[in-house]
Amino acid sequence: MYNVSASSEVIRGHRRLLARRDQEPRVHRTVVLLGLTSLFTDISSEMVVAVLPLYLVFVGGFSPLAFGVIDGLYQGATALVRLASGYIGDRWHRHKDVAAAGYGLSALCKLALATAGTAVSAIGAIVLIDRIGKGIRTAPRDAMISLSTPPEQLGTAFGVHRALDTTGALLGPIAAFGLLALVPFGFGTIFIVSFCFAMIGVGILVLLVPRGRATAVKDPTPAPAPSVRGAFGLLRQRRFTAFVVAGGALSLATASDAFIFLALEERLDLGTTLFPLLFVGSAGTYMLLAVPIGRLADRVGRGRVLLGGYGLLLGVYLALLAPLEGIALAAAVLGLLGAYYAATDGVLMALGSAVVPDELRGSGLALLGTATSIARLLASIAFGALWTLTDIETAIACFVAALLVALALAAATLVRSREPLHVR
Amino acid sequence: MSARRRSQAFAAFILVCVAVAATAIGLAARDSVPTSGAPVVPAAARDVLVRAQADERSVLLFRSLDRRQPKTYGQVAVTSLDDPSKPRRLVPLRCDRVHFQAGRGVCIARGSSFAAGFKVKLFGERFRVQREFAVKGVPSRARVSPDGRYGSVTLFVGGHSYAVAGMFSTQTTLIDLERNMRIGDLESFSVSHRGRRVTARDRNFWGVTFAPDSDTFYATMATGDKTYLVRGSVSKRRAQTIHENIECPSLSPDGTRIGYKKRVGTGTKLWRLHVLDLATMRETQLAEERVIDDQVEWLDGGRLLYRVDEEVWAVAANGSGRPRRFAASGDSPGVVRARTPPNG
Repeated sequence: MYNVSASSEVIRGHRRLLARRDQEPRVHRTVVLLGLTSLFTDISSEMVVAVLPLYLVFVGGFSPLAFGVIDGLYQGATALVRLASGYIGDRWHRHKDVAAAGYGLSALCKLALATAGTAVSAIGAIVLIDRIGKGIRTAPRDAMISLSTPPEQLGTAFGVHRALDTTGALLGPIAAFGLLALVPFGFGTIFIVSFCFAMIGVGILVLLVPRGRATAVKDPTPAPAPSVRGAFGLLRQRRFTAFVVAGGALSLATASDAFIFLALEERLDLGTTLFPLLFVGSAGTYMLLAVPIGRLADRVGRGRVLLGGYGLLLGVYLALLAPLEGIALAAAVLGLLGAYYAATDGVLMALGSAVVPDELRGSGLALLGTATSIARLLASIAFGALWTLTDIETAIACFVAALLVALALAAATLVRSREPLHVR
Repeated sequence: MSARRRSQAFAAFILVCVAVAATAIGLAARDSVPTSGAPVVPAAARDVLVRAQADERSVLLFRSLDRRQPKTYGQVAVTSLDDPSKPRRLVPLRCDRVHFQAGRGVCIARGSSFAAGFKVKLFGERFRVQREFAVKGVPSRARVSPDGRYGSVTLFVGGHSYAVAGMFSTQTTLIDLERNMRIGDLESFSVSHRGRRVTARDRNFWGVTFAPDSDTFYATMATGDKTYLVRGSVSKRRAQTIHENIECPSLSPDGTRIGYKKRVGTGTKLWRLHVLDLATMRETQLAEERVIDDQVEWLDGGRLLYRVDEEVWAVAANGSGRPRRFAASGDSPGVVRARTPPNG
């Protein structure tokens, strides 16, 4: 329960932040409510993610190796679903319903976990359905955020959403381990409480978020329902394609944070108890910087901030190679990593939102999100292979080179795409 | 629905969610099973192993997992090898993994709370804990050498949510049970593979088994995506690979064969139980078709014991026959062999 009060603290904090300067526009209520939905959903899912390996090993007697097999299902399961749900949301103007179905499906999975026992096949199936739920909700939710926000505030709006989302990701593990301290080995209780948090998220979305595009955006001229061809036709649109290419290229040079944490751990000799603190450090930075950097992006240009963000990632790589030690190394890497997330994750969606027509918003953001996540998956595989074949320094050095190339390519693409159209 | 009605519905909905969560936590906190501390049993129960030795009877020592008696869940028990369905004798020790041979035992047990982690307890034949030390990770395997001189524990460390799929690490510690001292981590041993010293940082060891001379041991070493059987010497702190694709080896009482998990597939068909003949290096697949994730225990020269869900099963070591249930509601089976004089 302390989570509920803690999170409302956070909201009040954000409200204050947003209301402080009167000349600064406030983000739309829908954005804050969707942020809260994500916050509770993330508390719920991160609670489970934090304890699922322990659960399988403790109660099921499985080795983490068997868990790795399950975890492999996580990857890639969401790409196609995300595209479909983005399109369906566009086609029938039902972003909210599609998103609610995704959040609801994931919530039900938490209940299923509480009753499934420890059969690996059952847990594998539940985890898969949970990820499908995530795939379903992402694109329509981002479409709703962007459709309820005037174009000049998109960066701020996504920043507010991501800040709330990350708050949930930080609170989830705390809630899970707090519960484990209270009820030793009470995994069933964790799943039920996780289900309750997920339902609160669903409740906010279904009961409080306004339906459709009841917003102050433009005049709501009813557009014809888009076709699949129309959705993919986005890829012929030059500015949009530029973002997909730039985002994809940059993602191909992105080492997943799991690898960055492992590399950092090698240097710091932390031990497993302090390992989760690395996540807290970077996610905390992300949470704090998401709104200010989103606002900065609205002011100085989102493309610039996106490229700057990947410059920060370059800084992460270089810090890992630099002769830094201890606290200085941890602070540099985690601070840069958190700032990199704040400057890229929501900003890319804001960039995409500004060029995709309203009626194709879900499909467009889904295409963009899918392209970058597939690229990131490929990058993870490449990084893992490099690390196995050589050593961590070589792997990072290769990614430094790749990122420099990607930055140059992305900068060229973004600059060139600007010529025919001048959108802010 | 008006905005006001919506807010009211939402408030009611939140109340229900909070009430459900609070009830779940409250009920669980009330019913939580004791996870640590020595269970109380009749004083005579402490002598069950001593009496078995006096009568030259081999017995089964295992974890009792009777869900109908939650207070005893995880408590160590002893039962007859000839008829394991006879009432088990619970002893005053609670463990997650346990093994006992020739007067000395190793138990990996939970600390007083979740945050307290796990402890390794070294105990004698009357189940009195002589030494305990804290360990990091999650219990995986525990073994004692046939002469009770050495013990070994394996714990999973890592394998947490932020790590990459399939990446995990284990820590295997050897213990001198005569002096109640830790000898060291297997990773500090020098290991050679085809004549060359293995220096890869990603090497992991698990599942030790000891030969009758107790100085010789076998274990799994993993590096990259391969696993190897290593044979080594405790006193020389050295080992070398002798076979590939072997996990959780368990040496037969006569020291000629190794029962183990062999990786044969992926997903839910990951492992099959096999037996390796050390003289010919011939592998025999056993009749157990389910995926077993356990370090097997030799019941005698011809049968292996292992855990399936929360039961102990047995299968023939020569690949024949069918697996059958050996003992209900239990795991971590160990055969405490009667000490017979040499050559007699």
